[in-house]
Amino acid sequence: MATAQEIEDLISRVALGDRRAFSALYDNTSAKLFGVVLRVLNDRASAEDVVQDAYMKIWRHAGRYSANGMSPMTWMITIARNTAIDRIRKTRATVDLDGVAEHLTAPGPNPEQSAVAAGEAKRIATCLDQLEQDKGSAVRGAYLEGRSYADLAAAFNVPLNTMRTWLRRSLQTLQECMAK
Amino acid sequence: MSDRIDDIPPDDSILAAEYVLRLLDPVEEAAVAARLASDPALAAEVAAWTTRFAGLDAEVDTIAPRASVKAELEKRLFGLPDRKSFWQRAGLWQGISLASVAVAAFFAFQTLQVPQATAPAPLFVSDIAAEDQSLRLLAVYNSASGEVRLTRTTGSAASGRVLQLWAIAGEAAPVSLGVLPEDTTTAVVLPEALREGVADLVLAVSDEPPGGSPTGAPTGAVLAVGQVSAL
Repeated sequence: MATAQEIEDLISRVALGDRRAFSALYDNTSAKLFGVVLRVLNDRASAEDVVQDAYMKIWRHAGRYSANGMSPMTWMITIARNTAIDRIRKTRATVDLDGVAEHLTAPGPNPEQSAVAAGEAKRIATCLDQLEQDKGSAVRGAYLEGRSYADLAAAFNVPLNTMRTWLRRSLQTLQECMAK
Repeated sequence: MSDRIDDIPPDDSILAAEYVLRLLDPVEEAAVAARLASDPALAAEVAAWTTRFAGLDAEVDTIAPRASVKAELEKRLFGLPDRKSFWQRAGLWQGISLASVAVAAFFAFQTLQVPQATAPAPLFVSDIAAEDQSLRLLAVYNSASGEVRLTRTTGSAASGRVLQLWAIAGEAAPVSLGVLPEDTTTAVVLPEALREGVADLVLAVSDEPPGGSPTGAPTGAVLAVGQVSAL
């Protein structure tokens, strides 16, 4: 597995239309992206298709990724995950990639804030485990499986609004936990 | 505990988390997306939550897709498998950037010492540089004279070796423009056949034995590459 710096270098070469760099980027990252997409879609054939769509977006939008403290893997996984979720919801890409790229390249956190953010990322698993079990599972299901409020409400057999309340409270608790 | 959703005050941070998790319905989602461009605070919240949740990415197993997935992807993106052009094989495409063209343009003005009595002819420049900047030449082509003036600003031939300059038009084989002298400046004449398409040329410098490539094609390492662009 390449380092974040190596991935970042590859992305900047891809932005210049370098196909060899794109090939290397794919070789270094596709197993992770495929894992993410497969987890959401749970179907190999559509996951193969979606992972291609995700890399096509990465090829086209590589120029928008610039080092801003956001990990390049996070940027790529976000694209893959959103592409997979768009697929299961059969919606048009409501979260347009431009929006994603926009906020990830918007005046980002400075390096100091990024270091804090990286620490927070490591803490999320711990903080989720401190939530009541169902609530922790619901948040994990939303992130890892791309479940909507409706999916989660059905899975946990509670009314939709109850699920919303649960999740919002959980997110608030999470935020407080991670800010500690 | 109440089930009413409004017992949590509206909060952009929680909204950002819902957006990142894709919990919002399409209308709400579009509304957040529309705000992102003009609301840096909300964008920062979205970025922060993206990073926080990224901590869960470690829980996803890596699973290599089948080899055919990559082949199909490249076909979708690039069409049929192509014969890689010379400079792509050289792997030095990354040495070409707009920034380096700007630098070349700057040097071009400095190296053009011939006073222009008449309207200046179109000029083209190329920053021929090694990836690690260990070798760098700036080329200026004057379309009136058909001459390429070269200034070597960094690096030189290895001991007992020479530097040879090549012009590459698209997929065509490299055409030798000659062995470069030891002097840091020189001029070579661009062959007639290459003049019309000069703006799409790539110039490259290879490492060759004394006297230049014995085969008419580069035999040694390609040390530096530069795209030509109009000034």
